[in-house]
Amino acid sequence: MIASKKLVIPGIPALAAAFAAALLLASPFAHAAEELLVLKLSAKDGKFEPLTLEAPAGKRFKIEISNDGKGPMEFESKDLKQEKVLAAGAKSSVVINALKPGTYVFFDEYHQDAPKGKIVVK
Amino acid sequence: MGNALFIIWRESAEAMLVVGILYAWLKKQPDMKRGMRYLWAGVGAGIGLALALAAVMLGIAKTLSDEGLEYFQLAMMLIASGLIVQMVFWMRRHGRTFKRDLEANMQSNAEAANWWGLLVVVALAVGRESAETVVFLYGLGSQYTSTWNFLQVLALGIGAAWLTFWALQQGSRYFSWRTFFRVSEILLLLLAGALLVSAVEKLIALDVLPALVDPLWDTSAMLDDTSRGGGLLAAFTGYRARPALMPLLVFSAYWLAVLTVLRRFSK
Repeated sequence: MIASKKLVIPGIPALAAAFAAALLLASPFAHAAEELLVLKLSAKDGKFEPLTLEAPAGKRFKIEISNDGKGPMEFESKDLKQEKVLAAGAKSSVVINALKPGTYVFFDEYHQDAPKGKIVVK
Repeated sequence: MGNALFIIWRESAEAMLVVGILYAWLKKQPDMKRGMRYLWAGVGAGIGLALALAAVMLGIAKTLSDEGLEYFQLAMMLIASGLIVQMVFWMRRHGRTFKRDLEANMQSNAEAANWWGLLVVVALAVGRESAETVVFLYGLGSQYTSTWNFLQVLALGIGAAWLTFWALQQGSRYFSWRTFFRVSEILLLLLAGALLVSAVEKLIALDVLPALVDPLWDTSAMLDDTSRGGGLLAAFTGYRARPALMPLLVFSAYWLAVLTVLRRFSK
């Protein structure tokens, strides 16, 4: 008895469809333009300025990250489920969904020995 | 310098795991040459993908917006995860029936499609993490005042990555075929699970999926996933010190499904 070779790649069309769906979801009408609180964060070769950010609970907000260092950095936070690579001199932003009160840690994955930053949400 | 080395090794280790296991497995197959061509083609495609992604990340290429890049990375994670699982099951079935099929002249289009699947999974494994390595190295180059120092770090990094590959091949020779592939399967399935967790978390960050309860618990006192070791475990197994409920549900469902199908396969 020869096992059916229909295991070919059934996953690929399904995953391609998922990908297409994801791209569709990325379309602009996902979120209407809204006024978002902006927090500014500077990363300089592992040094965050400020080290502690404050944000209000229950509101979406944006963190504008500026890589003021000489090399690339990666803004990463397991708590916020965010990961973003920034080249030297680059500026980018991450939008954080409404958070419960608490402390959320972030760090620079390319300078892991540097002090970690935190976002205090009240 | 230790940090730079660790990062280079870690990013390449995922690719080395996939490529290394496939390489060891292919060497044992009668249709080796054909498979190897697809493997190396996959590596080449992966390097191309890594360079393209690095260009986008560095702002050199403006083909993708910020959000577009996020969705592209999400798609890569999901596809890689699915293909790795498929690869594990394909290696299982293939290993047992391939010789018989070959003799019974069962070569078909199905085989070609499976080889292409192999190419894609390798390209994704190499491309995904290597993109970050390229960006990292690009920046590293400008930080080192002496080209010689930079080349030393690069050489050590490549050496460390090669060590992973070599260790895997040695493992395939030292341990019995059965043991080696059992362990390889577990490592690959863990990796696919980790990718799935990351993908779900990205979907939560993009506001597509709800987190449900976040966090469910906090084991960062035991093993902090922002540390080097913890981060490594997180990347290769999906461990999270403060997991949200949604990723945990998906992770559990994943393992339930995988273990069920694995049980059906082993006689």
